[in-house]
Amino acid sequence: MKKTVKKEALIALIENLMKDHEVVSPVETAGKGVFYRKIDKAKDVYLGPAFAVEPVKKFFLHPSEWICGCNKEEGTASPCPVPADDKKRVIFGVRPCEARGLVLLDKIFAPDDPAGYQDTSYIDNRSRSVIVGLACSVPDRTCFCVSLDGSPVETRGMDAVLFDMGDNFIVEILTEKGKSILGSLPGTIDAGSEKALEAAKEKTKKLVVKTVKAPDSLDASFKSDYWKKVSLSCLSCGVCTYLCPTCHCFDLVEEERKKLRCYDGCAFPDFTLETSGENPRPTKKERYRQRVFHKFDYFKKNFGENLCVGCGRCIRFCPVKIDISEVAAGAPIK
Amino acid sequence: MSALGTDSMKDDKKMAADGGFEPNIVGFLCNWCSYAGADLAGTSRMQYPPNVKIIRVPCSGRVNPLFILKCLMDGADGVLISGCHIGDCHYSEGNYYARRRFAVLKNFLEYIGIDPRRFQMSWVSAAEGDKWAKVVKEVVEDIRNAGPNTISAEKK
Amino acid sequence: MIEEIRQKAKELLAASKVDMVIGYRRSGDGVSTVPAFIDSAQDVDSLVWDQNCVYNLANYLREFPGKKIGVVAKGCDARAIVVLLQENQLERENLFIIGVECGVTDISEKCAACPRTVSAICDILIKEKGRKSGAPGNEKDAYAAVEALEARRAEERLGLWREEFSRCIRCYACRQVCPMCYCPKCVADQTMPAWFSKATSLEGNFAWNVTRAFHLAGRCVDCGECERACPVGIPLRDLNKKLEKEAKELYKYEAGSSVEAKPLFASYDKDDPKDFIK
Repeated sequence: MKKTVKKEALIALIENLMKDHEVVSPVETAGKGVFYRKIDKAKDVYLGPAFAVEPVKKFFLHPSEWICGCNKEEGTASPCPVPADDKKRVIFGVRPCEARGLVLLDKIFAPDDPAGYQDTSYIDNRSRSVIVGLACSVPDRTCFCVSLDGSPVETRGMDAVLFDMGDNFIVEILTEKGKSILGSLPGTIDAGSEKALEAAKEKTKKLVVKTVKAPDSLDASFKSDYWKKVSLSCLSCGVCTYLCPTCHCFDLVEEERKKLRCYDGCAFPDFTLETSGENPRPTKKERYRQRVFHKFDYFKKNFGENLCVGCGRCIRFCPVKIDISEVAAGAPIK
Repeated sequence: MSALGTDSMKDDKKMAADGGFEPNIVGFLCNWCSYAGADLAGTSRMQYPPNVKIIRVPCSGRVNPLFILKCLMDGADGVLISGCHIGDCHYSEGNYYARRRFAVLKNFLEYIGIDPRRFQMSWVSAAEGDKWAKVVKEVVEDIRNAGPNTISAEKK
Repeated sequence: MIEEIRQKAKELLAASKVDMVIGYRRSGDGVSTVPAFIDSAQDVDSLVWDQNCVYNLANYLREFPGKKIGVVAKGCDARAIVVLLQENQLERENLFIIGVECGVTDISEKCAACPRTVSAICDILIKEKGRKSGAPGNEKDAYAAVEALEARRAEERLGLWREEFSRCIRCYACRQVCPMCYCPKCVADQTMPAWFSKATSLEGNFAWNVTRAFHLAGRCVDCGECERACPVGIPLRDLNKKLEKEAKELYKYEAGSSVEAKPLFASYDKDDPKDFIK
């Protein structure tokens, strides 16, 4: 179901939603970029072309999530419940690549197979959230979603999607959840707008210029010196993993009677360091190779898809501009 | 979990009987001068506020700036470092290094918005029990005026 | 200029005077550059030099112990090498420093107040042809941002830094990109004791950023890489510059000016400031 909606009408709806929902949206911070924030003023909502620095992932896999704890008592310990946040939440402005990242994360934290590992906090976060996507209109030159079975205007993982048509948004409602939030918006769509939308979609897809030929399997390259060469400039920081919409590795940290699940990344030397002092991934070569393999090989073997959605963040923000798309495509697999 | 055992500080922030603010202060005292000076103040039955919790260190030069940050982040209202007078260091020059390092730290803490009164230094010799009592009185008063530490207020 | 760099690199590699030359090459996007690690004379033609050569290559030098390395170094990079030598992290005889004089083209904001003097540590200095040496930056402006902040009220400063640090994602790019951050086990990674929270809480972020900055007191050469690498735009240089200013004002110390000088906090003077001590 599609309808043409005035931008003011959408802002008014958000204002109204905030009464009984938690509303999250990209917010522009002057000179720093765009960041997803819980908002308290509808006018803060940023639905422009700039991409958020951090992907929406952090609202589902929190950077440091409190998973269990215990009370402080003399001589004994008793478990203390982690406060559950079950308020309904609407997240606006989620880009197609980020939404697709969530679809991939679902495979790990909320698999269809009920016998698989079901992550309660992830599932709670998913079920209490309604995702109102925003189709891209100006892809960045580092974007390469089209090469990875994605598109700047696709809707997988969204409950509703907004298309920016200049003065208006075209709203497409995709699920019941989406209907419950945006169903009340007045408006219809005429044939002319429908046609304009299709034309705009095609045009945007063509704007994604970066293409990558991701190999089917990287197996043959595992022992190659190639990995040493491409990882020479890597700094071993966490930018690429923390800003990735699909990276989900974590470390369990204990702090003041709390157990926290904090983001961790394969680029850090400590990530695989064992208590004995042995480190199975002792150099940048093994660590960087792991990241590329996880994205373009291991995950594909387990789930049939690449674990990369082509959002381009790791390329945009890498302090030394390592380009994972070039690295993966150039791997010596023969 | 808190390796330095400062965990309880936040929970135990005491209010005086009249509801006034009683600052919680961590003191790093060098073994050779200030610790002995504080000891002398005690054995001489000098009266001074009980707000400074003393940690004995070999030398004021042993104090790592991280110690101060850790204290302030874990809820201490102030930190006092005390060592031998310049020239009297048991290790000849430890307090010279401390002085240099902490002059910069004090200004830096002020720059990031931490009240400079929360970080204090003194030289107290083993014979200066009276000076120790005086320093503590002054420091407690200073930090009382600075008010409770809110740097880590958002910590849950 | 680039021809001279390539020529020198070729010469060094061909004569086996160095095992590798670290410089800059063009990245896949055709505009920006990436660090280049060249170990054969045939590959030197991929070296480039322009205003996109932002990286401080001194950061990589410690990764090749025992090897002879030629490195392309801007003024700020050369200062970083000086500090690393001062702290016994590098062997001078294993380095060949190809100093490059930045032109008037500014690489970034930091360049505005750069003294533009390339350290005497360089083995060869390559100047930009047809151009006068870049005019020294305005020293007075060097601390403009710091002074503006100093003039504000303490609560405002705390609020401002809290706001900035609240965005920190603890990716440690600032640490990894810094040539001076080479501790084998960073305090941020230590668990016994855990010096500060590993969570991206405001408290942990505050402690991390303050600790990082203070550990660079008297060591930071203002290459500005931390601020450039920070994905969330924390003005880290404003912290570093404050410490640089303190070192200069209190102790007349400038990091990266001399290999022989004792590091700031590994030395003292009998007349150091003492007014703050009771």
